[in-house]
Amino acid sequence: MNASSDALSLTARLALLSSISFGGFPTVLPDVRDFVVANHGWLTDQEFSNLFALAQAIPGPNMILMMSFVGWQVWGLPGAIASAFATFGPPCTMYFASYCLWDRFREAHWQPAVRAGLVPVTIGLVVASGVVMAGASFTGWAALSVTLVSAALLLGTRINPLWMLLGGGALGATGLL
Amino acid sequence: MTDVTANRERGEPVALSALFIACLKISLYGIGGGGGLVWARRIAVEQQRWIGEQDFADIVSLCQFMPGPNIVGIATCIGTRLRGVAGAVASVAGFLLIPWVIGFAFGVLCLQYAALPVVRHMLSGIACAAAGLLIATGLRMMQPYRTRPAAIFFAGAGFVLMVFAKVPLPIVLLGVAPISIAWAGIQRASLR
Repeated sequence: MNASSDALSLTARLALLSSISFGGFPTVLPDVRDFVVANHGWLTDQEFSNLFALAQAIPGPNMILMMSFVGWQVWGLPGAIASAFATFGPPCTMYFASYCLWDRFREAHWQPAVRAGLVPVTIGLVVASGVVMAGASFTGWAALSVTLVSAALLLGTRINPLWMLLGGGALGATGLL
Repeated sequence: MTDVTANRERGEPVALSALFIACLKISLYGIGGGGGLVWARRIAVEQQRWIGEQDFADIVSLCQFMPGPNIVGIATCIGTRLRGVAGAVASVAGFLLIPWVIGFAFGVLCLQYAALPVVRHMLSGIACAAAGLLIATGLRMMQPYRTRPAAIFFAGAGFVLMVFAKVPLPIVLLGVAPISIAWAGIQRASLR
């Protein structure tokens, strides 16, 4: 029964961290590592970073998957499911509540100003995260041109973006990048 | 399809199953971190025309301010906008259920083996293309604002602080957004 109480404290911790993970779950990853590796010794540092790399490589909800793998190591499938819920449940409830509030004040006179001020900043951040990602995967001019070509194709054509991703994957597999 | 309350004078209410499938697509296509945003915009705004450009930008902004995985938040808000609580549940379930099962099974399998070099190279190629798509999506979202110099200035400020000054996201938001909102408020007041 020790494993189940471990899983319970992990779930509680993840639920707390996901509720304060402003700027996305990666911002609280160091805290998760402290809890899982340093305080409880459920995983080694090496295992923890392997789980991170794995979650990054798999398409889908990366951070939720990563926490599921952590839960899996602690208490098998129930641990994995509990960790997944703890990671997305609290933020989803907050998203829902805040959108309902925003929607309720749709006619309020302050809303257009908030929108006009806030949205451009958001857009700047979206472009920034694209550039940061491009920097993280930069290995040379070939990699950069894949980034630029896929951006240009999305802007200038109506080609399905899946082709850009497939093309990038195929070029990568040949070892050109 | 007789739910009139969810209709909100936009014609037929969107079926919950359609929301589930759209969010499943957004999730499966969105390889890597920010990729989901590319597909969320393409599917919800361009293809289905469920929400307008402005609503989409509102939702993305709102989600930036909240904790947790932003893209799940975008799915939640789109669902809420179209069908209330039921829509939010259908969207989140569509977004997470099947991708989670696939990713989790695949990951548990992978944990047994070391990653092959060819797979690693392929993934890094995909990451390059995904970064380009994200940049282009941001630029497209900027379209309605391109005639407002202040909007371009504050977008640039957020961009520069993130990319070049490496300021953490919460600080960028709390530092730049209030100034940008105040400026927009002053401009609107002086137009009136």
